[in-house]
Amino acid sequence: MSRIIACYKWVADEADLKINPDMSVDLSKAKGKISDYDKNAIEAAVQMAKITGDEAVTLTYGSKKAKLSLKDALSRGPSEGFWVNSEKAEQADGAASSKALAAAIDKIGDYKLIICAEGASDTFARQVGPSVAARLGIPCVSSAIKLELCENELKISRKLEDGIEIVAAQLPAVVCILPEINRPPIPGLKSVLDAGKKTTREYKIEELGLLESDLSARTETIDFKAYVMNRKNIVLDGETAADKVKALVGSLKKEGII
Amino acid sequence: MGEESQFDAIVVGAGPAGLACAYLLAKAGKAVLVIERGDAPGAKNVTGGRIYAYALNLLDKDLLDDAAWERKVSHEEIMIIDGNRSITMDYHDPSLTEGDESLQSYTILRAVFDQWLADKAEEMGAMVVCGIRVDDLIQREGRVVGVIAGEDEMYAEIVIAADGVNSLMAQKAGLISDIKKETVGVGVKEVIELPAKTIEERFKLNQNQGSARMILGCTQGIHGGGFLYTNQESISLGCVFMPQEIVQHGKQVHDIFQELKMHPAVYPLIQDGETVEYSAHLVSEAGYRGMPAKLYKEGLLLVGDSAGLVINTGYSIRGMDLALLSGIAAARAILGESDLSQIGPAYLAELEKICLLPTMRLSVGYNQLLDIPRIYSNYPQLAIGVMQRLYKVDGQIPQNLKKQVMEAINESGLTVWQMLKDGLKGVRSI
Repeated sequence: MSRIIACYKWVADEADLKINPDMSVDLSKAKGKISDYDKNAIEAAVQMAKITGDEAVTLTYGSKKAKLSLKDALSRGPSEGFWVNSEKAEQADGAASSKALAAAIDKIGDYKLIICAEGASDTFARQVGPSVAARLGIPCVSSAIKLELCENELKISRKLEDGIEIVAAQLPAVVCILPEINRPPIPGLKSVLDAGKKTTREYKIEELGLLESDLSARTETIDFKAYVMNRKNIVLDGETAADKVKALVGSLKKEGII
Repeated sequence: MGEESQFDAIVVGAGPAGLACAYLLAKAGKAVLVIERGDAPGAKNVTGGRIYAYALNLLDKDLLDDAAWERKVSHEEIMIIDGNRSITMDYHDPSLTEGDESLQSYTILRAVFDQWLADKAEEMGAMVVCGIRVDDLIQREGRVVGVIAGEDEMYAEIVIAADGVNSLMAQKAGLISDIKKETVGVGVKEVIELPAKTIEERFKLNQNQGSARMILGCTQGIHGGGFLYTNQESISLGCVFMPQEIVQHGKQVHDIFQELKMHPAVYPLIQDGETVEYSAHLVSEAGYRGMPAKLYKEGLLLVGDSAGLVINTGYSIRGMDLALLSGIAAARAILGESDLSQIGPAYLAELEKICLLPTMRLSVGYNQLLDIPRIYSNYPQLAIGVMQRLYKVDGQIPQNLKKQVMEAINESGLTVWQMLKDGLKGVRSI
């Protein structure tokens, strides 16, 4: 039995963001949450493990704030939760995060599949999955909406602009999933209670053979500002309801929405 | 614990009543599970925002020191509104804020306070699980033995229904029927953010001190009233109405509330503030008369709003302190009574001992008084009419005071006979 590792990020809940009059963003009252699509990643790992008989586990790289995430992640079904704990995570970029995660995955060992979300709900930089794969020297397939295991090969359906591509990848591999892949259920009472009994493992970066300096970000967030999106204020004319609907459809098409 | 029970007690609802009970049970070493429907404790309620410290002191005096308060109430105010005119009475007494802590009261924001109390209960060893809705009770041979949440069943020696007004648990147990329209009000509230300094200037408050204000006459004649509490950096402003009367009047709740906000005596208090929260909820309004006939069933106790424990006297509203008291009484009954079938009666005895039921009985009179429809329109108009005449100096020969008062009475649509009757009712009822 090997491991299927779902990586997730503990992010500020955007519902709690406050925009100041000068357009600066106040994060001070924001509570944490597991990044939205990472919930899909965890669910995908749990589902895959059910089929393959492997063990689904979770992994996060975060500051001490991320400790809160472990129980939440485990209530979604995985059997063990790993956490690389470093304050460096607060300023991490994709390169630094993938370094920490790859080192932890190496340490955890015996992995068959790493599942990441396509991007995190705070930055959506889409770097961590591919970088982890590069560091581990294993294949990476992005934009996955369906996973099927055939012997020692993974068949992945990739959602493209105008079609679906099916790719086979040798395991172990990293897969970056899109939210269409599944609908993560809300954990039930028993799952939440069981999560409290599951094992969690905390890694300090030294245990992973890394130095503080290894995890320094080489990009820096200089400013974080809100921007105003003006409404288009289009009023649709038309004699009958059918005319109006036609005008609406036309307008939506023009905007490239449908 | 019985062989089947996974917990000694399951508490449904992480509000003050449920958490107080869980805190004491966990402190006594019981295995307690608190299940909360909201994503966090305090997420699902709407409350004016004042708690009396004596109740928390009774729960555990150590809790008073670091409780999640907003401001200590130093000013008790009553505001009477008629049209765009108003009278505000402000009672200030240094003993409201000095001396015995347990005799004082504080404004609170429930999202903060409930989370804090939940943390305290967890420190004592209770398990608090949020984001889970309890759908039903598990009952065997007339006894409650557990709860059902989604597909999961969980068993306990006793279940504490702390799921608030219109309690689903009490309904499932057959202790209350579906809600009666005349027993509940609809409350709406906004939390309006302002800098602490601005609040202190506008309400003439010292740092960390606050005012609690009841507002009469702001409901356009509808049975109800308004409230305003100052928090550290926000104001909680709200109104409670009887829903059936709103329907009869053909008015919209938010329109009446908007008019209150724009009232010339209210607007300057909230001006430049930012509304960060708008919420609405049911409020138990019937006092003792609205309480379920039975507050327990074997294996189940009702606490707080689930048990209808709210007192509205017209000059103050009490709910959260009563909730804490009932949670304490429930815990005392559970810990003190080893015979499971006797916990219910023991709970009632504790409610008497903790002075909760006697207090509820006394509130009946207030409810009768508040049933007089004239309280919401004619009397505010009269008080304001008298004031208007008292302060009118226009160089004309003033009329004698008696005549002026009679004029104000006539204008308000009241008759002396009616006032005598209401006065008598008032004196009798309190």
